[in-house]
Amino acid sequence: MRPTSNAQHLRARIFRSMGTVVSLTVARRTYTQAAVDELESATAVVEGIFTELDLKFSLYREGSEASRVARGELALSEASESMRRLYDEASEWRLATNGAFTAERPDRALDLSGIVKAHAAQEAALSLEAIGLQDWCLNAGGDVLVSGSPQPGTNEPWLAGVVDPGDRQSLLSAFPLRALPALATSGSAERGEHIWTVGSGKAEFVQVTVAATNIMTADVLATAIVAGGSPMLDQAVAKWGVEVLAVRRDGTLLATPGFRDETGQAARKAG
Amino acid sequence: MRTRAAVATALASVGILIAGWQSGAHVSETGAATSTSLSSTGSSGTTSGGSTSGTGSSGTASGGSSSSGTTSSGTSTATSGSYDGSSVQTRYGTVQVQVTVQGGKITEVKALQLTDAENRSAQISAYAAPVLRSEVLQAQSANVQTVGGATITSDAYLTSLQAALDAAHF
Repeated sequence: MRPTSNAQHLRARIFRSMGTVVSLTVARRTYTQAAVDELESATAVVEGIFTELDLKFSLYREGSEASRVARGELALSEASESMRRLYDEASEWRLATNGAFTAERPDRALDLSGIVKAHAAQEAALSLEAIGLQDWCLNAGGDVLVSGSPQPGTNEPWLAGVVDPGDRQSLLSAFPLRALPALATSGSAERGEHIWTVGSGKAEFVQVTVAATNIMTADVLATAIVAGGSPMLDQAVAKWGVEVLAVRRDGTLLATPGFRDETGQAARKAG
Repeated sequence: MRTRAAVATALASVGILIAGWQSGAHVSETGAATSTSLSSTGSSGTTSGGSTSGTGSSGTASGGSSSSGTTSSGTSTATSGSYDGSSVQTRYGTVQVQVTVQGGKITEVKALQLTDAENRSAQISAYAAPVLRSEVLQAQSANVQTVGGATITSDAYLTSLQAALDAAHF
């Protein structure tokens, strides 16, 4: 028995993929060897999906299909179906976000790596569902997708912390993944300014966290809001009904109601 | 009256400020600071009492702003009191603010009315607003099951909060 305070029985396994670490956490009421075996095999399934997509879409592997497309050796029309599908999806998101999200780098090379991770997480979710796993949490390098509850059989939502971009060892906030099971974060804190802003100039936000009904939407919109600033944030909230927590350059915050503390709200209204 | 003009101007400005806050063109948590900079210094007259009510409007892009004051009684100077701005229609609904002035300076700005129709109210509340760090949901790493953040490298993972959680659940 794990001596956790709220009697959660969580088990996690991790693997490396796409330049980061992916972890799968599964919740069970009790822990049996069968449950551990189930987690091990579920992890193997998820890792297989990530590995396959990483091989195909990574630009840092010269022989990958994505690299051949980027170099012009392989026409997109000749590429695999999943390559074309993901390209189509990226194009649709580019249109929907007025260019704030784009799979095209400034040098015009096609780079789908921004959405491959979300795509892999989505595929992994389908597989976990297919093998009958109900209460799990997948964290792919800081992007989170959950199913069920950390306390099986209850309505208790998975609670995801949001890291403080100014201090990676502390949490800025948290979000209960209830109606919106996917949470993605974009920013410049870890990998430098890897998101190009619309126009020129520095990004208005150093970190943007988006909760959405699916991980692709959350991931794309987090990236788009970093690139497009406040106007894109408003558009995202209005159009996709997402919840957003954005950190400005000076450390101040913008938050939609889902990220706000209810007691804090009440206090503000009273004051 | 310079004072009234100043208040009217301040109200109009605050109207814009609120509208800006709603539309996401934010002024962060500087409501007070902004108001202070808008405040008049014209506590010139000794015209006492008498509520300053009127229709003095200063045209703004979002519509006129009139003030109907209810000056506080007693010893306060002529420039003290709280003033209700007129309702201003914005694309997110109706906005009305109340400004409290003491000694020629704005000391408080309150939103009296943000929306009228319920559907609009839902719409407005969905937007992102500037909040203090203490106003967002708080959690310690001990209370969460996972940690979200901008994509971290494999190396950075090793020292991350997520790694600590994963290790605890291993």
